[in-house]
Amino acid sequence: MRRVSGEWAGWIMAAVMALMPAAAAGQRVAGPPGGDMPGGVNDTVSAVHLLRRATFGVRPEELAMVLREGRAAWLEEQLHPESLDDGEVEDRLGWFPSVLSSIRDLVRDYSPPRPGPQPADSVVRPDAQSMTPEERRMRAERSPQRILVDLVGAKLVRSAWSERQLGEVMTDFWFNHFNVSFTKGQDRYLVGDYERTAIRPYVFGRFEDMLRATARHPAMLFYLDNWTSSAPDSAGDALRESQRRLMVDRIRELTPRQREQMIRNGRITREQLGQIERMAENGPPPRPRSRGINENYARELMELHTLGVDGGYTQADVVNVARALTGWTFAPPGPPPAAPDANGRPVRRPLAAGREGEFIFRSQLHDAGEKVVLGHRLAAGRGIEDGLDVIHILATHPSTARYLSTKLIERFVSDRPDPEFVDELAAVFTRTDGDLREVTRALFSSPRFYESQNIGAKVKSPFDLVASALRVTGAEIGPSRQLMETLRGLGQLPYTETAPTGFPATSEEWVNSGSMIARMNFGVGLTSGRMDGVRVNGGRLGRRRGGAETRAAETGTRETRTEETTGTGVGTVLEEMVARVLPGVDGSTLVRAIRADLEEQMAKGRLTQRELEVRAVGLALGSPEFQRR
Amino acid sequence: MENPISRRLFFRHGSLALLALGLPPEFVTRSLLARTRAAARKKTLICIFQRGAVDGLNMVVPFGEKAYYQSRRSIAVPQPGGERNGAIDLDGFFGLHPSLAPLHEFYRRKEMAIVHAVGSPHPTRSHFDAQDYMETASPGSKATRDGWLNRVLEHTGCDCDGRTLADAHAHAADHAAGQSGLGATASETLRGVAMGASLPVSLRGRHPALAIEDLSRFGVAGGRDATLESAFQRQYREAGDLVASAADEAFDAIQQLRAANPAQYRPSGGVQYPAGEFGRSLGQITQLIKADVGVEIAFADIGGWDTHQAQGGAQGQLARRLDELARGIRALYDDLGDRMEDVVLLTMSEFGRTVTENGSGGTDHGHANCMLVMGGAVDGGHIRGEWPGLQREQLYEGRDLALTTDFRDVFAEIAADHLGASALDQIFPGYSPDPARYRKVLRA
Repeated sequence: MRRVSGEWAGWIMAAVMALMPAAAAGQRVAGPPGGDMPGGVNDTVSAVHLLRRATFGVRPEELAMVLREGRAAWLEEQLHPESLDDGEVEDRLGWFPSVLSSIRDLVRDYSPPRPGPQPADSVVRPDAQSMTPEERRMRAERSPQRILVDLVGAKLVRSAWSERQLGEVMTDFWFNHFNVSFTKGQDRYLVGDYERTAIRPYVFGRFEDMLRATARHPAMLFYLDNWTSSAPDSAGDALRESQRRLMVDRIRELTPRQREQMIRNGRITREQLGQIERMAENGPPPRPRSRGINENYARELMELHTLGVDGGYTQADVVNVARALTGWTFAPPGPPPAAPDANGRPVRRPLAAGREGEFIFRSQLHDAGEKVVLGHRLAAGRGIEDGLDVIHILATHPSTARYLSTKLIERFVSDRPDPEFVDELAAVFTRTDGDLREVTRALFSSPRFYESQNIGAKVKSPFDLVASALRVTGAEIGPSRQLMETLRGLGQLPYTETAPTGFPATSEEWVNSGSMIARMNFGVGLTSGRMDGVRVNGGRLGRRRGGAETRAAETGTRETRTEETTGTGVGTVLEEMVARVLPGVDGSTLVRAIRADLEEQMAKGRLTQRELEVRAVGLALGSPEFQRR
Repeated sequence: MENPISRRLFFRHGSLALLALGLPPEFVTRSLLARTRAAARKKTLICIFQRGAVDGLNMVVPFGEKAYYQSRRSIAVPQPGGERNGAIDLDGFFGLHPSLAPLHEFYRRKEMAIVHAVGSPHPTRSHFDAQDYMETASPGSKATRDGWLNRVLEHTGCDCDGRTLADAHAHAADHAAGQSGLGATASETLRGVAMGASLPVSLRGRHPALAIEDLSRFGVAGGRDATLESAFQRQYREAGDLVASAADEAFDAIQQLRAANPAQYRPSGGVQYPAGEFGRSLGQITQLIKADVGVEIAFADIGGWDTHQAQGGAQGQLARRLDELARGIRALYDDLGDRMEDVVLLTMSEFGRTVTENGSGGTDHGHANCMLVMGGAVDGGHIRGEWPGLQREQLYEGRDLALTTDFRDVFAEIAADHLGASALDQIFPGYSPDPARYRKVLRA
């Protein structure tokens, strides 16, 4: 990690302080006992700071509310998301239907097109060349890629529109902590359910419960290969392997016509054939190591999810955790492949029927020998308890409290976490037995959170930037290829980080010369109205729209302004737009920097009033201040 | 102001990815113009990534192997001679796919070498993982976040011994102390460029690298709106922190490119790039090289190689892709003319494809593959590497071409002997490239 030199740190600090006059006066000051939260700086600055970190974008209305109710009250509300109505989100998810589908339905509805010629009696799957544009479009609609479009779109909608902002922010954090990737094989069907059932419900619950939920979820079991992990020489191991080879070799030898014949004879279903062909295409599944155990998940479970790389585990612990987790697998989302019987006829395994896509503990794959994990002895002869015990050991280990606290502070407070703050938060974690509501409250209430050097000191990640821009402009969001390309180009398309470490949390990783231009262009492009699938309404920028106004806008009826823009002077418009996009922040520098440009444009008659507003907002969204959080 | 050199070395942040949104520019010039390394005629490496796992066995055909024809009843490329569609004989055993005819001349002129049975030792057959592993040159490790080409840039960046590269502060101090011998006044921001909207993994990392979609339309709002760009520049100048200096570098690169105006360079007499994105990418790389802005590493990718079905043999789907590849490379080569003396062009792909054709007239994901190495510095006219054979017992997992050369050995030889990189163990983490293992694709 690069460090800023002393010389530079001084200059940066001076610059930051120049921009934030109130901050310059700040020292850490304890608040009034029993009153609102302590803060080292005046109310507005603290409120903005809290909202910048605990939401996906500061809105004037929300800032006003926080100033009125106090930060503690706002935070408390946010820590109980179920108490907040989220109608705005529900209305808008209609654009992204697949996010509500179960794993089974996704597999059924969004499978990739089958290769090879299809016989006449198959379900309509015409050859690419012979399709009409309409059919091609429909086929694209049903491709697995569509699932990602929906996942990203729904996440943007939630981030921009949800009242449960802190819940969404923490869902983002914990998903990233327990990262899985859409891009890996079957995970495309599993990731949505994973976020919905293994992450979001637990963000203000107990850490151990979330940990267990992720350990059991097919998305994680597949992503980190635990689903094939089995005890050495387990019967299941050898059997599965030989069955697989048999099927694949047999099918390979057949011509397409012969394969069709097998289907017609009822010896195999088309879906099963497809599965086997995919197996042939993708090669044999991971060849089990000589002992059958896969250590990948066990290692990441300790290194990335709980203890941290320096948390004090050994290679022996990795092996024993892996042994404890053998048998933790899941039923494939599609119909299970058929194993041929003695006559070569496919036999469906009844065990998995009806449980497609669900966690299964297969005791016949489990290594039930005695194990020692981090000094704890796990007795021999047990089953799923081995894994559950390991999860408990890891969740309650002191290193875990520290590691998680460090990560939380790195993401929400400072690129360089203050060790004392880490201690403070870790103590809360341990004292409350991993109660994430308590930990989160402590994080955002601590005087250390409000220390002046933390204010405005982090930079938005690409997703933060896009979400906050959509949020402050009150944009309507539909499936948008350009939004996805923007995120992909900036290196943070959600759900697609292939490494288990997830997306980075430090500003340095995101703030590099090239991405700056991309960010400016995004701001300009978004407000220009030329971005597909997104509508930003210049006149109502930042104003929340209720149902009636939204519908009016959608049907293209003339919008009525309840509030006329007072005065047509460039300066006034500019200040108003900046205040909407950057509430509570001293925008005078920004205004000064772009005023000349806008006045020139207006003078030359190049811009209408409306265009002036749009341009001002575009400049504000691309401004250095808007990149900060 | 402070020493511009130490500042630049300091804020050697990562990737430049410019999304072009608009039109051409005018710009207020900045005082910092690039003094490029043109005078020194620095070397350039052009990497072409064939994404999707190209079928190396049909690209460079082992027509001397009976097993090749036995395994590929319908998609094998015929023997040289007899038919019009036969492989182009290279050395009596291997031949080029007929669609690669435009490149044959370079083999004859000994400016093209081929490495066969080369690739990654990692068993993954996932496109994503394998591409990542190759681009980070760390097969099996997902911990490596930066690309090998970025690390090459970092380790060929300046004339110091690279001791202090890991610490930007110490490194700048190192250079500030011994400025006189410093040749690094050229801009850092244009040494590494990729064609496309976003930076490929190969070029991601600490060292500035630029992704360009369209040379003639880039910058803020595509360079179309000078006052907008100025307005942003003013904002960022006043910002004065990490964010500002990063923007600074970007405006700097934009400025240099505008001043150099690479788009003014038309293809040399008669050269025609194939239509499409790949041809355009190569055309722009050529313009950048001619414009002498200091490009040392250029990257382009070309897709469409994942031929699971109806691949075709001498003709068909794969043949068409190879035709585009060959005509593109040929055009670039002819366009650059004698500048090719200083250029090495390298093709690569994440893995190869199965020896046996599948039931759909195509091939599935395999293992080892082939690489083409071209340029004036190349020791060409040979097929390098060890050919493991295509008998069933010689195959990897009984189905794929086995590996006899680790791709990192090819990368390392080129990085070291063409681009002058030292510190190879830092460019290739967890691997110790050894000149004894090089396939000698470059002339001594």
